[in-house]
Amino acid sequence: MLQVPGDGSIIREDNVTHSFCGLACVGWMYQKIKDSFFLILGTHTCAHFLQNALGMMIFAKPRFGIALLEEGDLSKHEPSLEEIIAEIKADHNPSVIFLLSSCTPEVMKVDFKGLADHLATPEVPVLFVPASGLVYNFTQAEDSVLHALVPFCPQAPAGEKSVVFLGSVNDATADDLRAEAEELGIKVGGFLPESRFESMPAIGPDTVLAPIQPYLSRVAVKLERERGARTLHSLFPFGPDGTRAFWEDLAKMFGIDVDLSDREKAAWEKIRRQTDLLKGKQVFLTADTMMELPLARFLHSAGAEVMECSSAYINKKFHARELQALEGVRVVEQPNFHRQLEDIRRERPDMVVTSLMTANPFVGQGFIVKWSMEFMLMSIHGWSGVFTLANMFVSPFDRRSALPEFDRDVWLEGVMPSAAKVS
Amino acid sequence: MRLAFWLYEGTALHGISRITNSMKGVHTVYHAPQGDDYITATYTMLERTPEFPALSISVVRGRDLAQGVSRLPATLQQVEHHYHPELTVIAPSCSTALLQEDLRQLAAHSGVAQEKLMVYAVNPFRVTENEAADGLFTELVKRYALTGQKTAAPSVNLLGFTSLGFHLKANLASLRRMLTTLGVKVNVVAPWGAGIADLARLPEAWLNIAPYHEIGRTAAEYLEKEFAMPALYDTPLGVEPTLRWLRSIIEKLNEVGAGCGAAPLSMPELHDFSLDGMSAPSGVPWFARTADMESFSNKKAFVFADATTTVAMVKFLRDELGMKVVGAGTYLERDADWVRRELEGYLPGELMVTDRFQEVAKVIEDELPDLVCGTQMERHSCRKLDIPCMVVSPPTHIENHLLGYYPFFGFDGADVIADRVYLSCKLGLEKHLIDFFGDAGLEYEDGDAAVDASVASGNGHPPAGASTEGEGGMVWTGEAETMLKKVPFFVRKKVKKNTETFAMDQGEGEVTVEVFRRAKDSLGG
Repeated sequence: MLQVPGDGSIIREDNVTHSFCGLACVGWMYQKIKDSFFLILGTHTCAHFLQNALGMMIFAKPRFGIALLEEGDLSKHEPSLEEIIAEIKADHNPSVIFLLSSCTPEVMKVDFKGLADHLATPEVPVLFVPASGLVYNFTQAEDSVLHALVPFCPQAPAGEKSVVFLGSVNDATADDLRAEAEELGIKVGGFLPESRFESMPAIGPDTVLAPIQPYLSRVAVKLERERGARTLHSLFPFGPDGTRAFWEDLAKMFGIDVDLSDREKAAWEKIRRQTDLLKGKQVFLTADTMMELPLARFLHSAGAEVMECSSAYINKKFHARELQALEGVRVVEQPNFHRQLEDIRRERPDMVVTSLMTANPFVGQGFIVKWSMEFMLMSIHGWSGVFTLANMFVSPFDRRSALPEFDRDVWLEGVMPSAAKVS
Repeated sequence: MRLAFWLYEGTALHGISRITNSMKGVHTVYHAPQGDDYITATYTMLERTPEFPALSISVVRGRDLAQGVSRLPATLQQVEHHYHPELTVIAPSCSTALLQEDLRQLAAHSGVAQEKLMVYAVNPFRVTENEAADGLFTELVKRYALTGQKTAAPSVNLLGFTSLGFHLKANLASLRRMLTTLGVKVNVVAPWGAGIADLARLPEAWLNIAPYHEIGRTAAEYLEKEFAMPALYDTPLGVEPTLRWLRSIIEKLNEVGAGCGAAPLSMPELHDFSLDGMSAPSGVPWFARTADMESFSNKKAFVFADATTTVAMVKFLRDELGMKVVGAGTYLERDADWVRRELEGYLPGELMVTDRFQEVAKVIEDELPDLVCGTQMERHSCRKLDIPCMVVSPPTHIENHLLGYYPFFGFDGADVIADRVYLSCKLGLEKHLIDFFGDAGLEYEDGDAAVDASVASGNGHPPAGASTEGEGGMVWTGEAETMLKKVPFFVRKKVKKNTETFAMDQGEGEVTVEVFRRAKDSLGG
């Protein structure tokens, strides 16, 4: 067990499974950066993953694609992407091309950095984004994308004090965060990423970086190192407690003292029905999107009993405040799914928050389940997200009580003939 | 190297897991990097499996490679401990196949009994979903099938029915219904729902039925050769093929029966096959002869599917519905020769063989057929071209896992397909009428248009940019209006209405950015 500042301890197990690799980030990143193209140097597996697991269909002009490594390419010294890049430029005219790595070319030891530099032109940069499942889990490759964007953030001069929010959110959420900051008297420098490549925010020694997603530690460290920026270490802005801490701590970094306790109280009041229901409920979070720490902390603050919060990757510094708030809760990094399965069957939590791969089987075993990927697709940030966030946890309970009794022996017969008799 | 966006066939690993996920007591361990077990989600989400599919991953991390560590033995031990499978199939992914590890050696280190482990390593850069699935299923049959006493009553095995198969359960139900009517027992269905013991007793059946060219046929051929079991490879899609299929079953079973002195089977009355037991088993023959269906003679159809479906659908559309087939193709190159032979004389030109959906879309655009029978991707392409398309073939999609009984096989299947052809094409006809007479009466739901319309009808108020008035008489400032447009269109109307109600309750005269924001706080997004 590793000791963590704040006295909590993290149990570390052997590996996370039943979750996606870093390529999953393409699903939302290409939509966020509207003049981009995401090119994956990969195999049939990568293509099959994107089209099946993420359910991504091809629209009129998809701004992502796979440079497909076929058998003949394996013996080549370096993959040649010139023609593919030319095709992309002709069809899409992107301002930037992100070149994502995947497992096979990494095993082949393709020099991605060199490849990207070779393909880049002054007009259309090609940026290397490490994303393969050999190293990166699910949301982590967004960190890689932002990392690659750093050289394209102008240098902000010293003395220009402003906040840059780290993390991709939709425009409506971004507008809310911006307005909230301005209301508190905090100057907003922008978002990393903005929705167009040429408008990435200026970052300098007096920039305060406010991470709004919990999986972006590497880009924060890079910006601290290279630009001298400072990172806000607070709770992430989810739930009344997280939102209050986030804004108060951010304001403090701008020399502004605010007390948002009334606002927090009002926000809790607004979700009283939800918290009344969550109070005392036992919740188990298996690892998936890496949003688990703040989600568990919100549940904990709302009065639920978090039986286990596991996550693929925990950064003791970046997540320090969330870990502190979770003191006393079993926190596991890189959990072993078999062990979790046994624990869940034995401990019978009231709700399991889990991935797309495991949600329905848990329901089949009688558990109330929330699938974790949904938290990536809903506006749950800040004050305006409080209601949505609380409802997401409550709606599985509401739904269960709205539906009639379910006799599994009757209604699951023949659904999955390969299963041993459901017990 | 080429730029790909979407592919018809899945990977070898997907094919392998389709077989093992179908079976009882068989587990797959992927030897693969984090995330390659995304395949699990296709079972849990499409088939909505109420249990955990028997799939585990022995994760290969970059760090492990650097340190020369393998988690495979430990993973196999965990699988043994938690699931006690009778057999674990170990399969590498595309990236780990390049490592050229000796997986047998590594697996041996687990201490799990060798006979309970099987390494199935195919070249993932050459072998794809169907070939891997068919190959593994054949290997399993070879490994476990045993000579046994033939069943006393005439019986068949149904081979090739596989998890995520196209309308799998309904097809199986349709065949079971007909076999019951014939008085024939089903000995084993495999791999769907079969265990190792079921594979062992495959040779006890009198006949193997393998209606899919892609999966199950090779195993049936093996059983034919090694166990002298007769096999039927025809696909009972369409009324005439179904009748031939039934007669073949009777004939083949009677040959076996003659050897053991069993009473011969005969063809029941055809109405015995109908759902109510007292009607024609299918409506298709009469439907095709009705006056209004005469227009179908001029309807041009294009088919693009897997091998089995392309062959069967082209024949059905031409032979039974009397449509004109203007072209056909398949994405399964390795089965293309078989498709060409089967469709000799049916196609006006060459069979199209490609796994690039853009090329298929191009042909459809050039031909502008009245009906396309294709995959989900053709449906997508056709939507852009405004051409009716019905999905008849894998790759599977959530919409192919419906609850109702929609078989494609048998008499019931012929009715289902004919209905779909009719509904698809009829809409096409209506569309032409609308194009001809104008779109009067057609109202399109369009969130964007709705909002813009309300802006435009701002009763004397200045247009967008200044303030505008919503339906409820509430004025929106230009800024608030801009903010509203950022709300996804499918909820925009609702948000607009709720915000106006909120503003009115609060005694506000107009919706400003500030009011809108408070409304969002109070109402939740």
